[in-house]
Amino acid sequence: MRNLCLSRENCLPRRVGLTLGVSSRPGLQWSVANCLLCTMLLCMTLLCTMTGCGQSRLPAPTPDSEAAIALRASLASDSAGGAGGSEVVSTGTGWGTLTGRFVFVGSPPAAKQLIVDKDTAVCTAEGRKLFDQSLQVDEATGGLANVVVFARKVSRVKEREMPEEPLVFDQKVCEFLTPVFAARVGQPIDVRNSDPIGHNTNVSGTSFNQLIPAGEGTLFTPARETGMPTMVTCNIHPWMKAYAVFREDGYVAVTAADGSFTIPDLPAGEEVELQVWHERSTGPNGALAADMPELGWSSKGRFTVTLEADGTTDIGEVQIPASAVGS
Amino acid sequence: MTHFLPFLVTAMNRHSTFMCRNRFSLSPVALVLTVCGSLLFVSGCGKTPAASFRPNMVEAAKQRLKPEQEEQVATILEAMFGTPDNPIAMPETGLDIGKLRLAAGPVHSDIVGRKNGLFREHCSHCHGVTGDGMGPTAAFLNPYPRDYRPGWFKFKSTERADKPTHGDLVTILNNGIYGTSMPSFELLGEAKVDALVEYVKYLSMRGEAELNMMRYFFELDDEDEGKLPETRDFLVEEILLPVAERWQEAEDAVIEVPEMPEVDLAESIAMGKELFYGNKANCVKCHGVTALGDGQANDYDDWNKVVKQWSDEVQSSHEVSTKEMSREEKAEHREYLARADKALAGDALEPRTIQPRNLRQAIYRGGRRPIDFYYRIHAGINGAPMPAAAGTLTPDEIWHVVNYIRSLPYEFDGELGADRSMVARDRL
Repeated sequence: MRNLCLSRENCLPRRVGLTLGVSSRPGLQWSVANCLLCTMLLCMTLLCTMTGCGQSRLPAPTPDSEAAIALRASLASDSAGGAGGSEVVSTGTGWGTLTGRFVFVGSPPAAKQLIVDKDTAVCTAEGRKLFDQSLQVDEATGGLANVVVFARKVSRVKEREMPEEPLVFDQKVCEFLTPVFAARVGQPIDVRNSDPIGHNTNVSGTSFNQLIPAGEGTLFTPARETGMPTMVTCNIHPWMKAYAVFREDGYVAVTAADGSFTIPDLPAGEEVELQVWHERSTGPNGALAADMPELGWSSKGRFTVTLEADGTTDIGEVQIPASAVGS
Repeated sequence: MTHFLPFLVTAMNRHSTFMCRNRFSLSPVALVLTVCGSLLFVSGCGKTPAASFRPNMVEAAKQRLKPEQEEQVATILEAMFGTPDNPIAMPETGLDIGKLRLAAGPVHSDIVGRKNGLFREHCSHCHGVTGDGMGPTAAFLNPYPRDYRPGWFKFKSTERADKPTHGDLVTILNNGIYGTSMPSFELLGEAKVDALVEYVKYLSMRGEAELNMMRYFFELDDEDEGKLPETRDFLVEEILLPVAERWQEAEDAVIEVPEMPEVDLAESIAMGKELFYGNKANCVKCHGVTALGDGQANDYDDWNKVVKQWSDEVQSSHEVSTKEMSREEKAEHREYLARADKALAGDALEPRTIQPRNLRQAIYRGGRRPIDFYYRIHAGINGAPMPAAAGTLTPDEIWHVVNYIRSLPYEFDGELGADRSMVARDRL
């Protein structure tokens, strides 16, 4: 800026000073104009710095205070009825089986190698490597494994006995053997550890985070539904990860290695809405998107079918594009 | 900002004078300065609006809520919980409005000369007006101040997933938390501490209700048109009560602690040591062979994990190819990512890994009484990776581990650790 003022050539022409009407004395205009320029530049810089008084945060919504007062009054009186979430009314009879298959379209990205920095004598013995299991595509058939399908709301539930044998959820060589598993609420789960080292199993969203000694097991009985699947981790070996889904009615399935799933005993003769989830899905809360308008597939990963009684309804192949799962 | 102005004027005058070799008239500069100065005033950095609760923007962005959905949640919350200056306690919460009023609002004396606004005076600079653990000082503290909104509390006498009792929170306020920035508030006296604990519960219930509502948008059926039902059945029975009841049930969820077994202390310590290093209790895996807390350096507590996982997810979504998307999908995807980045930058603190406790320093955050150790080992620590030992260890075995841990800070140097002796440096 000093240079600006020291040489006439660099300075603003007289006219600027005149136009600004700052001074009419000859010989002064250029310097005045220059100083003006300097000052303005300085002020601008200052202003720019200061416009950032607040961080650039997301704008917060403003509550509607009048509506809040009205709502408060209506909540205080019991008069405001109507249940939250609509109940499904039964319109059909009999029970049917739903089946289908998920197929991954395109070539799946290579699985990332996990960083194993603990208990390497057991976990990565003899140069073994552990890989991220979140996207398992069957090489031969393109089937997408570990997709969860469950009924959102059903009008009636077929009475089936709670399996007495506990569902086995095992871990071996520092990996969960079932990366995604489903159980009924109240069904005992045998959380096992087949390693010579200790693990802990932490089912988020539940009260269960338990030490599992080497070669032993602990029973865990889920007490509440999970909604979308919940994460299961081992805190001692943080790379270990699995997902669990618990449903009251037991209408839930996890796709097998070839991408197929079967849910038996669903109410037939009426619309049943199903929810689809995959760990790597880019949709909200893991909801898996598919281009199947004939099933009314929504962006929330839901579709609707009407099953035929005493038969099997096949929704066919559901194609999952590579863009539906994160890289 | 205004206090910069005199300095500015002087500095610029000097500068200008030097540069322009006295052939300089002051008036235009003064004119410009005046304009700039008034601009500064107008830009209004110094204005203080009435305190308001900050919505959980991280969850809102994560659940991809629309502006009208965010507004609905904010309005429902104001209906059920009021504002920071004027709290509301619905009877279902079981909260005492008298205590809440003492703690809420700006710092002021009421008509009988009693001081109000205790939370803002003593707590909000760290825990934030909203209780989101994002007060102005939060980013500078390690560990970060507690975010009450998910409703998880670490140091308590109840089973892992249960809420703390009123007494548990009073103990924390009275004792402070050793090894953290949380000081003791015992000098405030019983009534004020009591009021603050009530207010913490209020903020926690409010935060949890907010989370539940924001997550419920995903559960809505299509015919609900993205709007939560504003009925008593939904808002009170399904949103508020499940949270409030768990606070009320806490008093009945206190862990039963059996007597310490009558074993010689040295023997008990020896058995505890065996468990500590053994494959059954496995303490060594995280607390380290030296018990210096160096066994596990790359795990997160639940508060940080939520942020970390989502930010990883957003990061990988940034890399998703948008080639196959339609124009609307692309716009939606971009909008989601832009909001996600902003929420993570402005409404969340940089995620930090959690350190397993160094057991040789004799600094115990949850209290140093033997019974505190028992609670921690029995139930684990809610929100932290520390798992529960109850069911895996017998109560007697838990007591042995308690005794061993209590002996650790005083253990003879030469005998420390499984495979390396402790040197003085390690203590630092």
